[in-house]
Amino acid sequence: MMTRLSIEHSTHYDYGQDVIFSQHLGYLRANKTPWQSVLDYQLTITPTPDELQVQTDAFGNDRIFFAITHPHRALDVHCASTIQRTIRYADDDLSKTPAWEVVRDSMMYSLDQPFVEASEFVWPSPYIPWLESLKQYALPSFTPGRPIGLASQDLCQRIFNDFKYESGSTEVHTPLEVAFNNRTGVCQDFAHIMIGCLRALGLAAKYVSGYLLTKPPEGQARLRGADATHAWVSVYCPNVSGNWLELDPTNQAIPELDHVCLAQGRDFGDVSPLRGIIRGGGYHRLSIAVTVEPHLPD
Amino acid sequence: MSPPVESKSSTELRQTSEQSNWLSSLARRIPTAKPHHFDEMRQSATELRAPWQSLFAQLGRESIDRLADYANTVNHVIAQNGITYNVFTDRQDQVRPWSLNPLPMVIDSDDWHLIETSLAQRARLLNQIVHDVYHQGDLLAAAYLPSALVLGNPGYLHAMRNVNVPGNNYLYVIAFDVARDEQGRWWVIGQRTQSPSGLGYVLENRLIISRLFPQAYREMRVQHLATSYRRLLAALETQAQSLAQGAPPRFAFLTPGPYSETYFEHAYLARYLGIPLVEGPDLTIRNNEVFLKTVQGLQRIHGLMRRLDDDFCDPLELRADSALGIPGLLQSVRAGKVVMANALGTGFLESPAVQGFLPAICEHLLGEPLLMPSLHTWWCGETAAWKDVSPRLQTQVIKPTFANQTSTNFEPVIGSLLDEDARNQWRARIERQPDIYTTQTYLPFSQVPTFNGHSIEPRTAMMRFYALIGPDNQWHVMPGGMARVAALDPHIVSIRSGGTTLDTWVMSDTEVDSFSMLPGQTNASHWQTDQELVSSRSAENLFWLGRYTERAEAMVRLARETLMLLSTNRVASLTTLNDAMTYLGRTQNLVTFDSPSMSDAPEAFGQMVIARLQQSGCGGLMDVVQAMLNAMRSVRDRLPVDHVEIPAKIKSLLLAEKSQHDMMRVLDQVELPLAALVGYQLDRMTKDIGWRMLAAGRLLERLINQSQIVTHFFESGAVYTEQGFDSLLTLFDSAITYRTRYQRQQEILPLLDLIVLDQTNPRALHATASALAEHIAHLPDSTVICKTLADLNRKPDSTLDMLRLVKDMTRTALELSDEISHQFFAHITEQRFTS
Repeated sequence: MMTRLSIEHSTHYDYGQDVIFSQHLGYLRANKTPWQSVLDYQLTITPTPDELQVQTDAFGNDRIFFAITHPHRALDVHCASTIQRTIRYADDDLSKTPAWEVVRDSMMYSLDQPFVEASEFVWPSPYIPWLESLKQYALPSFTPGRPIGLASQDLCQRIFNDFKYESGSTEVHTPLEVAFNNRTGVCQDFAHIMIGCLRALGLAAKYVSGYLLTKPPEGQARLRGADATHAWVSVYCPNVSGNWLELDPTNQAIPELDHVCLAQGRDFGDVSPLRGIIRGGGYHRLSIAVTVEPHLPD
Repeated sequence: MSPPVESKSSTELRQTSEQSNWLSSLARRIPTAKPHHFDEMRQSATELRAPWQSLFAQLGRESIDRLADYANTVNHVIAQNGITYNVFTDRQDQVRPWSLNPLPMVIDSDDWHLIETSLAQRARLLNQIVHDVYHQGDLLAAAYLPSALVLGNPGYLHAMRNVNVPGNNYLYVIAFDVARDEQGRWWVIGQRTQSPSGLGYVLENRLIISRLFPQAYREMRVQHLATSYRRLLAALETQAQSLAQGAPPRFAFLTPGPYSETYFEHAYLARYLGIPLVEGPDLTIRNNEVFLKTVQGLQRIHGLMRRLDDDFCDPLELRADSALGIPGLLQSVRAGKVVMANALGTGFLESPAVQGFLPAICEHLLGEPLLMPSLHTWWCGETAAWKDVSPRLQTQVIKPTFANQTSTNFEPVIGSLLDEDARNQWRARIERQPDIYTTQTYLPFSQVPTFNGHSIEPRTAMMRFYALIGPDNQWHVMPGGMARVAALDPHIVSIRSGGTTLDTWVMSDTEVDSFSMLPGQTNASHWQTDQELVSSRSAENLFWLGRYTERAEAMVRLARETLMLLSTNRVASLTTLNDAMTYLGRTQNLVTFDSPSMSDAPEAFGQMVIARLQQSGCGGLMDVVQAMLNAMRSVRDRLPVDHVEIPAKIKSLLLAEKSQHDMMRVLDQVELPLAALVGYQLDRMTKDIGWRMLAAGRLLERLINQSQIVTHFFESGAVYTEQGFDSLLTLFDSAITYRTRYQRQQEILPLLDLIVLDQTNPRALHATASALAEHIAHLPDSTVICKTLADLNRKPDSTLDMLRLVKDMTRTALELSDEISHQFFAHITEQRFTS
């Protein structure tokens, strides 16, 4: 099974005064995986940047850097892409994944044990500290000997049930602990909390930034630009396709055909879609519009 | 050929035997080291070890008896040079004077050879580890290093993965903390690889102590330090050469700024090395290249000596809340366009846990055994290690694995000082999150003789040595360093908790290299080229330093004249002069805007003047002096070390007095340090763009103040009174000149000529405007400003026209200040976004 999606993602800044110099860093280009290919990609930046570089970062993502060195009153970053997704986990049986303790122990250091690359994602990261409370929250899902796939899926479901999704309830820099204690947040918080739970147990988990195809209410047309960027989790889970199991705690789902992956990192800070530092500018206004829809052949 | 051995005369022999008696009595008098601590000074109860034998013999009985005087001299020099260590980094005023003992620590050449070879080997090893970790990753893959200590280490920067740095040199300076055990064997306690501090303090220590005991310093053939610094600069130059494409590469010293704990030494080192001291906002990245914002425009920088921690270096990619860094710096680093000393991402080696893995890595990477051992180390994240050491926690010191991670940092805990309950609590704490704990065997460090103010006594010491890379890519250990001595607690060696430092003398068995880098002895052209770069921020601070210094002088003059007038009993009759002085007092913040006038309430007026001369936060003299101090701190690398102390001196002079009469005397005294400052600014500074800025600020302020004085004296009519005439001359510091020319006659036209038109009177407004124009002409793109100034030098055709001109001068000068700020200083704020 496969699907094709058309995505438009536009970020627009209006400034009250001239910005005389600006530098931006973005993770805005989906990468190629066995389950995802980029059929078409167009990035349009207005005004045209004076410097533009596309590089691969430490985690294999496409990182875009650009600078505008002449005065400007607005910035528009527009990405249009066509992505093809295929089913990833069709043949995987989560009950056949190893016991979670086995996976944990494989990443603990001892002289005679081989290095597991995934262990990079076990350690705390700037947005996801190690918290005893997260470990205690996670433990009921991780009963002794339980296959890691099933235990993770259970944790995902519990977060979905226990936490309230509330748009605007947190900001980009709200500490994870606040969202956790309030049992409220947005997709970024859901992902961070779930990653924090997994890591507190000694498991490896990545933050995935991307898009999600949403279904318009029955009988209504899709509202253009009403979608948002999305975030979910990928847990190191040997014996599934690619050894990583993606889980979306905001939607209680295993990402497949409706999810498009932009970039993966330790947390939001590694892969935030667009950030920048400007000189001047005064008052500013930001608007983001995302549209994800099934791709219609030309 | 050795010289013929001279036979010793009987006097010499007697002296020798007297001396050896004195030395052994000295050895008996000084207390022995505490049990289990190696005694650096003696080898038996009565016998000194060779280095101290020769140190004490060289110092002689007289110096030893006068150590209290020497200690005073040291403290005096430290106070005079303003050598400080900011203890509480959030409060700029809470700086602590640097602490230096008059006695040096002495190391003989045998010990030194061992230290030198061992630390150079370690330095080479550490650089290779950094390279492996960011490139092929063999050490991780083959389990020589645990993933948690590298990939999970806050000192590891993912952004540096696969980045090539020039010459594969990640480390340029490494600081090693080493100490001796009971048997006298050396151990490595820790290492600083990110941006080690102390090189400036080491130098300052050496300058003070070598001048204190010049003979001993020479006779003992103590190795000099300057070559080490020169080699370091040469290494940077070598690596940056290709970036500069034939031209001499340019460097800057990146500091977090005056609030940093060790800002003193940043300024000191920058000046010593002859490279500009810059803060993050002084630099900008264009097309992946680093540029310094200067008065002359953007100037390419090829290398940064940095004292800014990794996290703060690039707010675009790393910590977004940092205002200290340079957005885009990582882009430049990845493009290989800047040499960083040290490279970003080298801090992971500072974890004590890494020490435990070094012996095996050394065998693996260098194929040789590690020469100097680290303290025995157990990283608790390795289950087997924790199981092994947990029962023996009383022999251990518990340390944070990641001390650079504030959230998990704590002060080291000595296991033997805890009871078993407390140790069990620690065991439980460690088992909850073992990765962040490391234990190391508790080692009682050696004790060195120090002077405690009354006598010599042994204190626990840890040595800090520096490995520096040279232009030949060879590591070299600076022969000397800093011994840090515990205050009272023999367990804790820390400058923060009140310890002191000793200069460390390495005795040479070969020729002493006497190369020096102090001004006057260096290659002059090297200095000048780099000093030409004046960052916009330095220029701004110098400009304001000039303005504040002039303002302080003007306020002192005005306050003194006011108090003088009030002290005469005729004050009530001087209505017009009182009006002028009241007005000036109000505009120059000597009194409040709603103060009573000098005529209505002379006494209250005088009291207010005195009160406000001593009051901070009212915009008065104290605040102007503080503003001078702040500006001076920010350009500390361009001023003589002792100048920064002058504002504090002025403040304490002002605060000491209460009465009107005494305050006039104090104001006289305050003029002296101010004059010293101005004299230096005029005569002894390099006459570069920065100096022009300072002079321009000074003259501009003078133009503003003095033109206003003229206006008020004429508008109030004060100038037409006998006393008013004299006061105006005094405020223009021109009374003597006037009297020389015109004796006691008081005539308006000659007066105006002298204070407005005269080109030979440096206080005259025309002369001020001309001098200002001359300085500004040296600044880039200043034609328009110069034209405006030239217009001020027109010849007025009447007294009335002259007064119009004086008013024009005030207005023009105020506008000019804005124009200069706008043209040469960057005032645009930065904003950060994340979406």
